[in-house]
Amino acid sequence: MLELAHVSHVYANGTRALDDVSLTIPTGMFGLLGPNGAGKSTLMRNVATLQTPTAGTIRFDDIDIIADPEKLRATLGYLPQDFGVYPRVSAYDMLDHMCVLKGIASAGERKATVETLLAQTNLWDVRKKAIAGFSGGMRQRFGIAQALIGNPRLIIVDEPTAGLDPEERNRFLNLLVEIGENVVIILSTHIVEDVADLCPRMAVLAGGRIQLEGAPHDLIDRARGSVWAKSIARAELAEVAARHEVIATRLVGGRTIVHVLSDTDPGPGFTAVSGGLEDVYFATLATMRRAARQAA
Amino acid sequence: MFASIAAFELRYQLRNPVFWVVAILFFLMTFGATTVEEIQIGSGGNVHVNSPAAIARIHLILSIFFMFVTTAFVANVIVRDDESGFGPMVKSTRVTKFDYLLARFTGAAIAAAAAFAFVPLAIFLGSLMPWLDPETIGPNRLGDYLYAYFVLALPNVLLTAAIFFAVATMTRSMMYSYVGVVVFLVVYLVVSSTLRSKPELRELAGLVEPFGAAAFGNVTRYWTAAESNAMLPAFEGALLYNRLIWLGVGVLALALAYARFSFAEKGLSARAVRRQAKLAAKLAASQPEIVAVLPPARPAAAAGARLLARARFEMALVFKSPAFFVLLLIGLFNAGGSLLFSNEIYGTPARPLTFALIDTLRGSFGIIPIIIAIYYAGELVWRDRDRKMHEIVDATSLPNWAYLVPKTLAVAGVLVATLAAGMVAAILIQLYRGVTDISFGEYLRWYLLPESVDMVILAVLAVFVQALSPNKYLGWGVMVVYLVASITLVTMGFEHPLYNYGDTGQVRLSDMNGNNVGGALAWWLRLYWGAIALVLAVLAHLLWRRGTDAALRPRLRRLPARLADVSGVLIVFALLIAGASGAYIYQNTNIINEYRTDDTVEAKQAAYEKKYLKYQRLAQPSTTDIKLVVDLFPHEHRMAVRGRYQLVNDTGAPVTDLHVRLLDTDTTMGGIEIPGARLVMDDADNNYRIYRYTTPLAPVAKSQLTFVTKRWQQGYRATNNDTNVVDNGTFLNNRNFAPQIGMSRDGLLTDRTKRRKYGLPAELRMAKLEDVKAQQRNYAGNADWVNSDITVTTDADQTPIAPGRKVSDVSKNGRRTAHFVSVAPILAFFSVQSASYAEKSADATGVKLTVFYDKKHGFNVDRMLAAMRNSLDYYRANFGPFQFDHLRVIEFPGYESFAQAFAGTIPFSESIGFLADNRDKDAIDYVTYVTAHEVAHQYWAHQIISADMQGGTVLVETMAQYSAMMVMKKLYGEEKMRRFLKYELDNYLRSRGSEAIEELPLQRVENQGYIHYRKGAVVMYLLADRLGEDRVNAMLRDLIARYRFRSQPYARSLDLVNGLKSIARDDAERQLVADLFERITIYDLKAKDAVIAKLPDGRWQTKLTVTATKNYADGKGKETPAAFADSIDVGVFAARPGIGEFSKADVDLIERRTVATGTQVITLVTKRKPAFAGVDPYNKYVDRNSDDNVVAVTEG
Repeated sequence: MLELAHVSHVYANGTRALDDVSLTIPTGMFGLLGPNGAGKSTLMRNVATLQTPTAGTIRFDDIDIIADPEKLRATLGYLPQDFGVYPRVSAYDMLDHMCVLKGIASAGERKATVETLLAQTNLWDVRKKAIAGFSGGMRQRFGIAQALIGNPRLIIVDEPTAGLDPEERNRFLNLLVEIGENVVIILSTHIVEDVADLCPRMAVLAGGRIQLEGAPHDLIDRARGSVWAKSIARAELAEVAARHEVIATRLVGGRTIVHVLSDTDPGPGFTAVSGGLEDVYFATLATMRRAARQAA
Repeated sequence: MFASIAAFELRYQLRNPVFWVVAILFFLMTFGATTVEEIQIGSGGNVHVNSPAAIARIHLILSIFFMFVTTAFVANVIVRDDESGFGPMVKSTRVTKFDYLLARFTGAAIAAAAAFAFVPLAIFLGSLMPWLDPETIGPNRLGDYLYAYFVLALPNVLLTAAIFFAVATMTRSMMYSYVGVVVFLVVYLVVSSTLRSKPELRELAGLVEPFGAAAFGNVTRYWTAAESNAMLPAFEGALLYNRLIWLGVGVLALALAYARFSFAEKGLSARAVRRQAKLAAKLAASQPEIVAVLPPARPAAAAGARLLARARFEMALVFKSPAFFVLLLIGLFNAGGSLLFSNEIYGTPARPLTFALIDTLRGSFGIIPIIIAIYYAGELVWRDRDRKMHEIVDATSLPNWAYLVPKTLAVAGVLVATLAAGMVAAILIQLYRGVTDISFGEYLRWYLLPESVDMVILAVLAVFVQALSPNKYLGWGVMVVYLVASITLVTMGFEHPLYNYGDTGQVRLSDMNGNNVGGALAWWLRLYWGAIALVLAVLAHLLWRRGTDAALRPRLRRLPARLADVSGVLIVFALLIAGASGAYIYQNTNIINEYRTDDTVEAKQAAYEKKYLKYQRLAQPSTTDIKLVVDLFPHEHRMAVRGRYQLVNDTGAPVTDLHVRLLDTDTTMGGIEIPGARLVMDDADNNYRIYRYTTPLAPVAKSQLTFVTKRWQQGYRATNNDTNVVDNGTFLNNRNFAPQIGMSRDGLLTDRTKRRKYGLPAELRMAKLEDVKAQQRNYAGNADWVNSDITVTTDADQTPIAPGRKVSDVSKNGRRTAHFVSVAPILAFFSVQSASYAEKSADATGVKLTVFYDKKHGFNVDRMLAAMRNSLDYYRANFGPFQFDHLRVIEFPGYESFAQAFAGTIPFSESIGFLADNRDKDAIDYVTYVTAHEVAHQYWAHQIISADMQGGTVLVETMAQYSAMMVMKKLYGEEKMRRFLKYELDNYLRSRGSEAIEELPLQRVENQGYIHYRKGAVVMYLLADRLGEDRVNAMLRDLIARYRFRSQPYARSLDLVNGLKSIARDDAERQLVADLFERITIYDLKAKDAVIAKLPDGRWQTKLTVTATKNYADGKGKETPAAFADSIDVGVFAARPGIGEFSKADVDLIERRTVATGTQVITLVTKRKPAFAGVDPYNKYVDRNSDDNVVAVTEG
């Protein structure tokens, strides 16, 4: 179980990327949802021992991550949002090298690990190709393969599905689900479906703060009755936006469907929608922005 | 489009670290050459460091070196896109081939040109540095820099850029581009050295030598300092054509590149396709080994595997990088060049013995390993981050040391590889030169092992700095500061190896004495710095940057807690070792021995001069008898001396005070007893004492002095460890260990800059020729003629040697004692030697000739014995009797490279004659030449000694040169002498340009080697030729007889000049003597053409057109023409005089004809059809251009 308590992170330039974040993340897949710039990567890096928070504590089971980062690293799998590769190194060799870095010394164990993971991530056929020449999906699968080396108990995957086509994305997420039973997996993303489909628990991070936390279906239940939809012409959008709190718009067959947030019936043409997680997410962001506007 | 692509390319190149590394490297090299006296390119003496000629030469030389760099820039243009995978994307845009190729070339070439601009910048900034001697700096003129940069450097940069751009375009490989550079370089070196060896091809060389160096050299070859400081060659003629021709070649190369370049990628060959298919099939055939549960990570057990894998990984990335290849090539090129030409004397190579090559290697690599360490430490430490791999890697459980150690190993690996490459180059040169017995042990012990340790220590520092630095560039910056500091701190007087990181002192190598001087201290220092490096390494481990945070502070905060494990133990352990070894070293360098910096030594010399120079003319009694017992303990680096001087007051006046001093402060004076005198002044620090006679010593009265001195270098000094009393090859002269009577100028500060710094006059000029009072003192430090009785004891396995007839030689109780007694008066200036020697002797009618040599160095012993015999034959026949019954040549370690004549005893450095390789018939036999010269000193110095005044060296050095030339002439024949004469002449003409004070006429020479050796040899050879060798020798025999063993007044150069004038038969001969001795006279004799025709009687007529000029020069090189008419050799030949095979048979006719100022046609008639004709064909005159004296004939 991963526990963050009052974690804040302020960069040298004064940006407060995390602001008193407290979270408890149990075993299983945990979705961390947030827009770009919300502080997701900072949070992930703090947990992955790549940055030291300015304040607060992070514990994983009995490991104090801040005081004892080495201990966590021994049981950590991390797939960063963006990673490069060495030129002219093949997937097989690189994975083998990563095994050594993660502490698998025996050649036999390394072979088993590398080959199992290559097969699992469908990279077996291209194992001798240089990673530099991989497509985005292949590269991400390689990334997850390396994160799984040595059976880590904590796996952190930062925006893994960005830029993947739907098929690649499905394949990738399935892989995560397979392993997500007994370990803590934190999946950060700005794509709502990633979380909705997979994660028993989730949190929304925006503006450096946790805006919402819980099981997706609880959150959806909680939001029921406050989201309303209306189909309008494109030209009417500005007017609707002025009068209502629009949390999302979507084009359907040339008409614009607006979702607005309201505790009461916002008026003619609006119907209550039993919103999805997406509405919950957007509603949360909208609330937060409103709060920020009022504070300002 | 063109401009924006070029601009993009330029920006790209300027952001590339290669640009900055190169810019800094060339900046530092140039800055060093400008500001450090020991490094000089193109300047020196009176030639200012920023004189037009020096600026031009630096630009020329560095622009040749720069081709490695231009290649990196332009080849990158072509290769980059293919390597980065951007190629297809770029090539599919609408960019045209012209824009793509040439705009990028333009950008890259501009970047290269910009990098080279750091060279003029460095000269300019260097010339402003406050520590430079203002005398060595001239005015900075923008025009000089523009000329050097735009006329010389820029065309060279563009030329090499174009050529190697073409190579890169065609090969599409960085590697092959560099192979191209190497091939180009080898061809260039071979062709240009061939052209250089043929003077008649010089004009052609001016055109075909691509870098303009030959064209520039042709114009400036014999420029005096005044000319070099004021002028630049006009941009016309050969230089202009050269630039145009080679710019044209550059354009052609670009055109070729353009023609051969194609956007299309090369398709795979059928074979490659088949191979790929096979590979794919093989891959598909094998099935993965799949396990249900992945094996767990066990970091604790993986230490070894991690170290190994990481080291292999890091090293592979480094060794496969093109930059490594480039650096290695530069290093090899550099080392190869110095190795090939090192230790040449008179153009004759030395046998490439390992110790000498290692010295050369250490010298020629110099700054390169440091640059490599700096560059690669930055690249390696920051690589994961640059490649964006750091988040993945840093989140693994890899401990910090597993980053640090392999990266350090990789940096050290690169450095060791460069060392090994140098070693391989050295071994190849040994094999090429016929050495088959390669001493791998010596290479290992003296070079590879110690230098590798030094490299690791350096690598640790570089990695440590990068580990703490917030970015790569700052880390590089810090290391450059370290580099500059390590150079400048030493020059500022901070020389102690205990605080200069990685300083392991100076190891002096010698084949005789191994690495005994400095070797052990170096290992102690390695232990000390190694321990400190370990501390740095552990700190780097503890503070290693992980993750995305570059800030150091959080890591520092965590440091104390993290010390509490193995790291802390290691640090304590390393600190203990550093402390203990440091204390031991400190005890040696500062407590047992005195720690002296160059500055303190110089300050002491200056104070000494201020205090005691006033006594330099104080009349002192002369020494008549010396009795010495010298006990040498070579392995303890210790000697003890007891001695007794008999003195006589020959000053003609009573003497009150006796000044007793010991020049060498490594030796301490013990008790001195002078009956009837008491000590009134004792300056123990300077070894200067004044004794006062209770009753002044009356004229002709005798006195006695007994003394004890001790010399003992215990342990090690920080710098300048004793090279005189050493394990094998002890060599001292009496000034190192025995007191001198009276003050002299020996041992005073001579460097003009330093003298001024201490408020002394820039130079101490010699007494004028007319100052007859100066004849009271002689040139050999005023050493008196004495009888000597010297006993030397040493270890039983060594041979003790001192001047005198050996009257006994006994070994007992592990000690060997030899007793030497003089049979004729000797100068009180003599040597004591001891080493393990092989001996070879021969007899020369009553004189026992012996060579004492290291048993490994027997190559030239017979040649030396023959030279001794031939010399004695000539000198006894022509100059008078030889005064001893023995003559010894004794080898000593190459800590100095000279041979020196003491009475009957000639110490000869191992680094000259003994190792000369005379197998090439064309090589000048300087073994014989130097031996003959030193034997001649048995007459010229040890029979007649001259006064300490202007011209003093003429009777010693010029006459020894003359004597040796005569021996050579007798051995090799007149026809072969041109090579010696030309060597001496060229040396004289070249050295004139670097005179620091003023050039003087020969009879007034003030100990200026290029005048008394070089010009003196040419002058005396001509006069013997002109006045008659026998007549000159008869005059010399008289001169010696008159002054033989005579004390004051000592002989002057005028005695010789007057003697020569007395045998001159006419005005022309008298004029010649006066021109050669009393003035600085420069002739220019030139054969313009020679037209032959067959006469009706079957003989051949040669019409030789000759031009002649004569100029008188003043001390600064300013010339005024003078009328000239003299009787000069003209001749016709079947071969060119001066080449190795030229012999008497090739001479058809040589006779004297009158040659006068202006142009004249001389007709010569011979039986045989001639091939060459010329005036002064053997170069006897001081001829400004001695290469144009002979021309090939043409048929009319």
